Amino acid sequence: MRDGDRDRGDRDFKGDREPRMRRRFNAGDTRELVIDYKNPQLLKNFLTDRGKIVPARISGLTARQQRQLTHAIKRARMLALLPFTSG
Amino acid sequence: MAKAVAAGRVLSQRNKLGTQREYESVTILRPETSKSEIADVITRMREVISSRGARLTKIDSWGMRVLAFPIAHCRKGIYLYWRYLGGSDVVAEFERNMRLNDKIIRFYTILIDEDVDPEARPGEVTDDLLEAATDPGPDPDELARQAAAEEEVRQREQEQTRREREELEGEEEFNAENEVP
Repeated sequence: MRDGDRDRGDRDFKGDREPRMRRRFNAGDTRELVIDYKNPQLLKNFLTDRGKIVPARISGLTARQQRQLTHAIKRARMLALLPFTSG
Repeated sequence: MAKAVAAGRVLSQRNKLGTQREYESVTILRPETSKSEIADVITRMREVISSRGARLTKIDSWGMRVLAFPIAHCRKGIYLYWRYLGGSDVVAEFERNMRLNDKIIRFYTILIDEDVDPEARPGEVTDDLLEAATDPGPDPDELARQAAAEEEVRQREQEQTRREREELEGEEEFNAENEVP
């Protein structure tokens, strides 16, 4: 049984999905983050060890920031500033 | 409008008249490219840009970097950053010339802004800037090796001081034990 199923015992979310938890991935303040493909050091914070892009659910970014982020990471990958895969 | 069409200068119906587009390009050169060869690339590309009525506003060298993955069997590359104002024809010509040059292993152009008033974006590349851009910069492998060597020296020094302190403490203990009352 998966963790999510077990937690539903109190029937608070009967019929509905559990509210999604947004978890902060990196500790820094991301509210005024300037996302640029030319700053691979910053973008690296939003990659997993295997070089995958961290989902917004975990990165804690807004939808707009997440769009900018994925775009920037894909550009940086074209220039070999970030890996497509690693590990 | 008709005049512009006759002059062959309308590249996009969407663009406002009298404006240009701002582009930025990043090129990666082979790591063994020498300073003079980089200078050749820059002069050539400057000619390409100016021949199409465009203007190079910025050129910058990011130096030699280790690539995240090998490109054309190169593990490292020299990065050059260009910013210019012009039309889409400049990009086409710029990229065609990049493709012809076997020193260049990767290039990537991005449209920064449309409908830019050329007057509003001053910035002319000076000879100093061009000269600075030809510098391939230090080899990252070399830097890593130096850093590792320095780290080793520092660790050895720490070890040395630790040992000296221990010897000193041992001596003090010995003195304290054998103190004559």
